[in-house]
Amino acid sequence: MSQVKFLNLKLKNPTVLASGILGLTASSMKRVVEFGGAGAVTTKSFNIEWRKGHKNPSILPFRHGLLNAVGLSNPGIDEMVKEIRLFRRQCDAPIFASVFGRTIDEFAEVTRLTVEAEPDLIEVNISCPNVHSEFGQPFGNSCEDTAKITEIVKKNAGDIPVSIKLGPHGPGVARLARVCEEHGADAITAINTVGPGMLIDIEVRKPILSNKTGGVSGPAILPIAVKSVYEVYKAVNIPIIGTGGVTVPEDAVQMILAGATLIGIGTGVYYQGIDVFKKIEQGVREYLDRHGFKSIEEIRGGAHE
Amino acid sequence: MSDLMQTFPVKRIIEHGPGVKSFYFDRMTDAVAGQFVNVWLPGIDEKPYSVSALGEDWLEISVKAYGVFSGAMMKLKVGDLVGIRGPFGKGFTFRDNALIIGGGIGIAPLRILARELSERNFRFVSLLGAATAHEVIFVDDFRRRSSNCYVTTDDGTLGKKGLVTDDLLEIIKKEKIEFVYAAGPEIMFVKIKELIDPLGIAYEFCLERYMKCGIGICGQCTLDGSGIRLCVEGPVLNQDDLKAVTELGLPHRDASGRRV
Repeated sequence: MSQVKFLNLKLKNPTVLASGILGLTASSMKRVVEFGGAGAVTTKSFNIEWRKGHKNPSILPFRHGLLNAVGLSNPGIDEMVKEIRLFRRQCDAPIFASVFGRTIDEFAEVTRLTVEAEPDLIEVNISCPNVHSEFGQPFGNSCEDTAKITEIVKKNAGDIPVSIKLGPHGPGVARLARVCEEHGADAITAINTVGPGMLIDIEVRKPILSNKTGGVSGPAILPIAVKSVYEVYKAVNIPIIGTGGVTVPEDAVQMILAGATLIGIGTGVYYQGIDVFKKIEQGVREYLDRHGFKSIEEIRGGAHE
Repeated sequence: MSDLMQTFPVKRIIEHGPGVKSFYFDRMTDAVAGQFVNVWLPGIDEKPYSVSALGEDWLEISVKAYGVFSGAMMKLKVGDLVGIRGPFGKGFTFRDNALIIGGGIGIAPLRILARELSERNFRFVSLLGAATAHEVIFVDDFRRRSSNCYVTTDDGTLGKKGLVTDDLLEIIKKEKIEFVYAAGPEIMFVKIKELIDPLGIAYEFCLERYMKCGIGICGQCTLDGSGIRLCVEGPVLNQDDLKAVTELGLPHRDASGRRV
């Protein structure tokens, strides 16, 4: 009953490990599938050259979620291609490769090289809110850049489907999603972390993150994510990976009612453990049973008129 | 205590010798031997450190100058504010007739372990090694609490000249050791494992990796082969945990995730 079709893929359940969480190595992602129960995994975002990212503190819990400015650290595409291949040899669950570029040209190059690892989907991160100091405003804050990147990634992705990961900022997630669809995107991932935000230590009287600001995730952003998915569902016909603040099964049901096909879970691992995927899958199944539904499809988008 | 960052003033500092210090804070948390806290020096960085001792009203961490961060720790003065969050991870279990093996600043988490074992009236033997005499921190404390305490130094300034692993098998036999604890450089674990795996003795090692979050989400410290998150399922791993780990003794991943 939990099985779900997404594009050309069949997932054993609709939960997906969100990018940036436990997605650095094949061993880590394998554990998220085998012990955690995820239906699919997304790698940590990577580009061509390795990056150290921001200094620590880079990830901070606060009372309602996490604030992070990891700064897109990654070991570079060669290492990530190796890890994706290793995962594919060891695990049946689909793997989504999360890519980014510092320039529009780099998006083309990183896509071309990622294709060699044969991931099941390429997720394009154009909405990371914690690298302003280096990259300026995210590409995903501009319809024009979003159009260009979608087009160039699609051109280089071959048969591999492409999902564009959007944030709730800029010209609005629905408008951006329409731009992505018009330029060939196969799916939308909504949303990235929100903000940036800041936390200040009141004794030292300085921001705690080394980058001062970072993206907000966790329970605090669930309503923003649900509303974003709701709007995107209204605006486009391509499927949505609904991500942002999903911690318990009821959150996932909200996402599905708003229109999500898959449910991204990241910070939920902090609150519920690695088996958060299993817990949410079971809870969603119980919800369907309780209300006499036979499949997730029956309730998808059910909150719309 | 909590996962949230809070800052505390340094209450007291002990200098064991050049580049090795212990720092004391008001006790803000419980911790078991092997658990660690993330230490933040505002404007510098944040790094994980084992809790090396807990008193009624104080918490101690012990640091050896090694890189930029530990170098900055050496410059701390009493009253300076330091961020501490934690404790994180899973600590040691408590066993009778154990051997405690510490290498260099790896002695730090074993100091609190020695206290906890002696409070339970468990018999244990210590085997401590370091580059030079002053790096064998709190040796008198270990001597007092252990039924026997062996010391080695690279330069022979304290105890026997050599490595902790030189006489390991003889000590295990002579002292009728049934369990081994170790903390120190990874090459030491590789050697200990090689020596004691054939004996079938159970053990726990306290490992180190580059860490970011401390709360099991960033994936930076997951161990290849196993997917174990060292900050949550570790830093103390036993012989069964280590069976699946394929990276023991390899270069560690850095902040980017590359092995360097």
